[in-house]
Amino acid sequence: MKKPLASIPINEKLALLIGILGLMAAFAGNPYSGYSVNLDTKELAMIVQKEVDHVAPAELADWIIQGRSDYRLIDLRSAAEFSQYHIPTAENVPVSQLSGYSLGRNEKVVLYSEGGIHSAQGWFLLRAEGYRGVYILRGGLDEWKDQVIYPSLPANADAAQTAAFEKMKEVSRHFGGAPRAAGREPTQIATPAMPRLETPAAVPVPPVPQKKKKEGC
Amino acid sequence: MNAPFYRFGLFGDNVSLVVAFVIGIGFGFFLERAGFGSARKLTAQFYLTDLSVFKVMFSAIVTAMLGTFYLGWLGFLDLSLVYLTPTFIVPQAAGGLILGIGFVVGGYCPGTACVGISTGKLDAIACLAGIFAGIFAFGEAYPLIRTFYNATGMGTITLPQAFSLSYGLVVFAVVLMAVGSFSGATWLERTVTVRKKEGQP
Repeated sequence: MKKPLASIPINEKLALLIGILGLMAAFAGNPYSGYSVNLDTKELAMIVQKEVDHVAPAELADWIIQGRSDYRLIDLRSAAEFSQYHIPTAENVPVSQLSGYSLGRNEKVVLYSEGGIHSAQGWFLLRAEGYRGVYILRGGLDEWKDQVIYPSLPANADAAQTAAFEKMKEVSRHFGGAPRAAGREPTQIATPAMPRLETPAAVPVPPVPQKKKKEGC
Repeated sequence: MNAPFYRFGLFGDNVSLVVAFVIGIGFGFFLERAGFGSARKLTAQFYLTDLSVFKVMFSAIVTAMLGTFYLGWLGFLDLSLVYLTPTFIVPQAAGGLILGIGFVVGGYCPGTACVGISTGKLDAIACLAGIFAGIFAFGEAYPLIRTFYNATGMGTITLPQAFSLSYGLVVFAVVLMAVGSFSGATWLERTVTVRKKEGQP
């Protein structure tokens, strides 16, 4: 059994090496736990100032209509509010459960709440945990309601605004909303109720794992 | 010292293309030097006379596995940023079978076909033309097979999650599997080659 090390062929030496490394690995613990996050507060401040972490409601509406699934939409409100109305494809995760929810750190995550405060707080929470692809729905559900569900046309709109409104009308109907024509919305629909979720378009869709380009041999 | 460097924005799109080019050239060079530009060498594994391809690929897997495990464990690598391919068990098994059949018939897998072309092998050119024809046919037929393509999705699942074992234990199991199959493969090569020389089936 006694063999000088030099007489062992190279492939057996390598086999021995990976055997030792493998055995050590069995007792080493979780490889995911070693990584720690360094927060660059200046970088965060720049992101906040430049507003590059915002997603406009119209943009999100386009993503949903296109059926894109390269992002996760997270509703930070309570379960009761969520069941009353939520943006299609959203997942309900109250702020208290955000930490520890199964989100990939390489995923694009869009947060929204009623206004913008909870989602901004959630944004910092996730950034502090090392999530880099975190975005906020600009203006939260309020702006979603104003711009997507019940878009309105100002009384003195120019041609570009009118064209945008025409496009938005289609989007609005897709989400079960009602576009408001110029000048009559304040009296007619003071506090528009959210569209009911019975429409097929608004059924929450579980996130479908998306295939991406793969590398082969 | 944090990887993956590209995700962390240490270099942009342009530099990433240069890095990809350099890595690709290096990968191709070593495949060619290992003899993987020859269909005879590659298909020999299906006749059990030369299992180099199997050994090289499994070595690469074990090396990468140990490397990422220890780099993650030491805190140099954030494994949660590494992209995991979602599992679609049935369509992926079907795809693997099709690739395997294509490998036996054509003599190359996609990467090695490119390696074969670099030394001007005509069969490799034919093989790559076939690969592109297949990609085109798949693209055209996609609406018909879309349901199957997205069937049995299990999300991004890893072996430790699937078997609820610790990561380290799975690493050790794969290492044992590798060492066992390397010596098994070497034994098989010898036995089959000797039998073929003796004229037995």
